[in-house]
Amino acid sequence: MDEFNDNEIARLLRLKRYEQPPPGYFENFLHEFHRRQRDEMLRQPLWRICLERAHSFMLRLDARSLASYPAAVAAVLVCAAVVSLKIYQQPETAHVALQSPPVLSAPATAEGEWSLSSPVAAQIFRTQPVRSFNGSAQTHRAAAPPRYVLDSVPVSYEPTFRF
Amino acid sequence: MDQPRVDPDQELVKRTQSGDAGAFDELVIKYTPRLYGLVYNMTSNHEDTNDLLQDIFAKAYRAIRGFRGKSSFYTWVHSIAVNMTLNFLKKRGRRFQLSLDDVDASIQNDKEFLQSTATSSPVREADLSELQRRLNEAMMKLSDEHRAVVTMFHIQGMPHAEISKILRVSEGTVRSRLFYANRQLQNYLDEFRKNPVS
Amino acid sequence: MFRHAAFALIFCLSSNVLFAEEQSAKAINDKIRERFERALAQAASATAASNQVKDIFARAAKAVVKIHGVDEHSEICGTGFFIDPTGTLYTAYTVGGEAGNFTIEFGGKKYPARQLLADIRSGTAMLKIDEATPVLPIGKSEQMEVATPVVSIGFPLDLPQTPNFGMVAGFDRKYLGRYFSTTHMRLNLPSQRGEAGAPLLNMRGEVVGIVVSSLENNSACYAVPIEAAEKIRGDFMRFGEARHGWVGINVSMAPKPVEGSVAEMTKIMEDTPAARSGIKAGDILLQVGRKKVTQPEDVLDASFFITAGDVVPITVMRGNQRMTFEVQATLHPASKTGLLLAAPGTPAMNQQAIPLSLGSDVPPTP
Repeated sequence: MDEFNDNEIARLLRLKRYEQPPPGYFENFLHEFHRRQRDEMLRQPLWRICLERAHSFMLRLDARSLASYPAAVAAVLVCAAVVSLKIYQQPETAHVALQSPPVLSAPATAEGEWSLSSPVAAQIFRTQPVRSFNGSAQTHRAAAPPRYVLDSVPVSYEPTFRF
Repeated sequence: MDQPRVDPDQELVKRTQSGDAGAFDELVIKYTPRLYGLVYNMTSNHEDTNDLLQDIFAKAYRAIRGFRGKSSFYTWVHSIAVNMTLNFLKKRGRRFQLSLDDVDASIQNDKEFLQSTATSSPVREADLSELQRRLNEAMMKLSDEHRAVVTMFHIQGMPHAEISKILRVSEGTVRSRLFYANRQLQNYLDEFRKNPVS
Repeated sequence: MFRHAAFALIFCLSSNVLFAEEQSAKAINDKIRERFERALAQAASATAASNQVKDIFARAAKAVVKIHGVDEHSEICGTGFFIDPTGTLYTAYTVGGEAGNFTIEFGGKKYPARQLLADIRSGTAMLKIDEATPVLPIGKSEQMEVATPVVSIGFPLDLPQTPNFGMVAGFDRKYLGRYFSTTHMRLNLPSQRGEAGAPLLNMRGEVVGIVVSSLENNSACYAVPIEAAEKIRGDFMRFGEARHGWVGINVSMAPKPVEGSVAEMTKIMEDTPAARSGIKAGDILLQVGRKKVTQPEDVLDASFFITAGDVVPITVMRGNQRMTFEVQATLHPASKTGLLLAAPGTPAMNQQAIPLSLGSDVPPTP
């Protein structure tokens, strides 16, 4: 006896499109995404960041964007500046916060937060002391707060009465 | 069925690939609501959904330089989302259960059980919210792969062709999984219909 | 004479009034005293109750620990508690089952811990540190009833050790349409993330359950009864692992009750201990081991407590005849792979041998 045919199921399922996350979730999502990107960037070794810089510079040349040319020159100069700064700084206290392409625009706000005002081809580097690098944190995930465990569903179930 | 179409996201993708951060932000803003629905209906958990969405966009961001436009960005990012979610579900926890082939048989047993406990009182018309709740329960009983196709087809409204591209299976497989899943959901809601108070 | 009578009447009346007044004054005094004493008693019992909870927390807190682990996705945090003086602790499977690199915070210090056992069916796990530790006494969840008050102690989020007070809300066999492996206690006890693995204590401070999952909005939670965890620990002490038992019977609803039971054994699976014992399809199930069975749902609890290798007396009704079969349980098919039933006819399903593995892996269905 088909009390629920496919159309009924389909109709009920379509209603699930309107299930929404908590209010403010989507607004906050992008913010959280940028935060995680920053965290990930801070974990990259310097050589890798410079390599990506160079790579994106080559890409920009291919795109024939004249506006990026002085930016590319600036990039090389600042890269050199950063490298020399690094040599003179204590490794535990200061880390280079470099941007890998695509670029987050600067300047930073007073609290040291990155802001996203407009897409910018220029690359801006910032050297700022950040939290000391925890050697055991291998991935960006490990720096994120831990998952506090209490699931909302049981971990296993019995499908029927058998023993 | 592939007609040459301009990918509406082509512009944003190109800008992202040439270093425009704001363009990727626009893609994130555009796709988060859609991907939220997809991932949440597969995981049934807000926190997991949030973590997965962050990972999905992070992966898309890292990989976008290699995106050649062979499929639309929509298909590409949905493919990443579905595959990451399925991997996550596999790892989230194994379920202590018997053969998946026997699921139908077990539902059959449950039906007999429920039929024999049905009282003679008139079955009330189930109101919509109760049905929805039962539907959520039924969805959770499906396997991860079946829940994925149901979510994509019925909830996200994606055509069979799109689903088959995302899952990299034939359209026939998509249809048969949908058929099987619909039957499961139907059986479960039938039981509820026969015994609304449980 | 009339004057005397009137005087006497007045005297009587007035003495009655005075006497009545005295009585009512006394009654009023008594009433006031009674109310005062009742209020005092209530205040005292409220104080006693709160003292009891504080006392339980003070005694038990030192044996409850925060657990850190790392799983495939991230660092995780949960709660656990010691149950023997050599550092063995219980926690929920979701905390101790699928993670590694465990450390335990105890007595203001951190200790590395190793996993002894993780059992997904019971939803529990056991870890161990190598230290002398305080211990929580084990109680009996069978003595708990709906509305019995309970206390739990856990580490919510990144907060310090926190007591929780509530009551037993029910005993459930299923949740959201899925059956638990054994009856779980539902508690009206607000539980936060990080408190999976928290001990559930009765008002004598004994552990009666382990908090394993929350209900909506964290306003209530489920706890595995401590007897279920102890069954697994018992298996571990005997065999080094959990040994879920299996006899091979499918149970559903009988059309009419027989000897008070509607649990009909509708299918006896081929080549299983039940098939070899002489139990037949159509027999009505009355008892499995010590568990009485009156409906199909009862087999869940009966089944959970069977240990592979043990002989289980199964009492049935066949027609008018009551019969008891001694069935030696074999290993539950899903316990090794966690997924699948072995194909019938697998040589490992032998009534004499106690197989540790099933020998054949059927690939998962798509």
